[in-house]
Amino acid sequence: MMNTNNLLSRIEALLFVAGDEGMTVKQLAQYIEVEPMDIEAGLSELLSHYNEEEMRGITLKQLAGTYQLTTKPEITDTLKKLIENPTNQVLTAASLEVLAIIAYKQPITRAEVEDLRGVKSERPIATLVSRALVQEVGRAEGTGRAILYGTTKEFLNYFGLKNIKELPPLPEEVDQEDDQPTDLFLTKFQETFNQN
Amino acid sequence: MSYEVKLDAFSGPLDLLLHLIHRLEIDIYDIPMAELTEQYIDHIHAMQTLELNEASEYLVMAATLLAIKSRMLIPINENEIDAEELEIDEVDPREELVARLIEYKKYKEAAVQLQELETERGQVFTKAPADLSEFMPEEQLALFDQNVNVYDMLSAFQKLMRRKQLKKPLSTRIARQEISVKEQMRSVVSILKNAGGRVMFSQLFEAEDKPMLVLTFLTLLELMKRQVIFVEQQNNFDDLSVLLTKEEINDEYEQLTEPN
Repeated sequence: MMNTNNLLSRIEALLFVAGDEGMTVKQLAQYIEVEPMDIEAGLSELLSHYNEEEMRGITLKQLAGTYQLTTKPEITDTLKKLIENPTNQVLTAASLEVLAIIAYKQPITRAEVEDLRGVKSERPIATLVSRALVQEVGRAEGTGRAILYGTTKEFLNYFGLKNIKELPPLPEEVDQEDDQPTDLFLTKFQETFNQN
Repeated sequence: MSYEVKLDAFSGPLDLLLHLIHRLEIDIYDIPMAELTEQYIDHIHAMQTLELNEASEYLVMAATLLAIKSRMLIPINENEIDAEELEIDEVDPREELVARLIEYKKYKEAAVQLQELETERGQVFTKAPADLSEFMPEEQLALFDQNVNVYDMLSAFQKLMRRKQLKKPLSTRIARQEISVKEQMRSVVSILKNAGGRVMFSQLFEAEDKPMLVLTFLTLLELMKRQVIFVEQQNNFDDLSVLLTKEEINDEYEQLTEPN
């Protein structure tokens, strides 16, 4: 068993070399020749170092199932100066809408997406495929064997997610002003009860 | 009532309806059909720039609204129907529309959440992996997965574009002349030959301008299709490796035909 500092420095060096491809716990364990649980302990220790020490410009992030070294969000203003046109890459409202439907309802066909949106969605889907955010994940049963779409690893990376389970929960249905039929009876009952 | 409408502001008839419901402060579970239908049709009239394609979707919704409105006007004569029919008739004609609006609204809100994540992620940068291929022993280079498909290619290209964002050219570029896929095929093949038949995917994308990057990407797809090159995926990092197929190493790429 190597000492902690030795282990942390090796993890850091491997993640530095791996860049935006990142490395999984399994890969790190394999290269350093220690147990995966040692790697996990090392990663969380490394993370607290990065976050506690303000002089560090990098931190550790779990993206699409891998660990990567990333810059800290608080120094983005300096880094943005390196980018020519930071706004040219963001998704349009239509693309985001289609992507949300695919992300939460995958696998899903184009026709199903269009039914839900009430509008043709060929173009947004083509955009999302070309940006590697969604891809074909199979074919639907029945006539036509329509393409089924699902999200990709790049999707997780693009939105900064560890895995698909980390998607924020789907927003709740519209709040009703106590007018559900079942509740109506109860409310009436409650009112009558309170009056007596 | 004059109300400025930009069609671009709506991503379809359901979106427009939600906008109206919000603006008129309507309870979505008790929609005054007459008012909503009137407002909706006014809006469509205002959208004079509707493309035929989109217009049809908006018009179908207008017809749906009118149908619901008229069904709600039909009086129910209670004496003439038995209980069973009453059950059927008691279904609110608005029910299906409301269900669709609520379902759509959920995903519209989910899209806003995604946009917030997108902004947050945009504050954080990563770097390209170090290219260690030149230090790799031959046997490790042989550990390649042959299953690279067009989605893997797109995904590699996306990563590349992201990395390019962080590399601002240090000098102003003089406008380059148009280069065709045909010419670019020659140069990719010659790069490969000089490198002994194998280079990493990212090494083929030295240019800084987007048209050139896209051109190179299309060229690779074309060369793959013609089986001049094949692309493999490495095990340790996900970077792709581009290889010249054996036959092509013998000078026959001077006589290229124009890709169709």
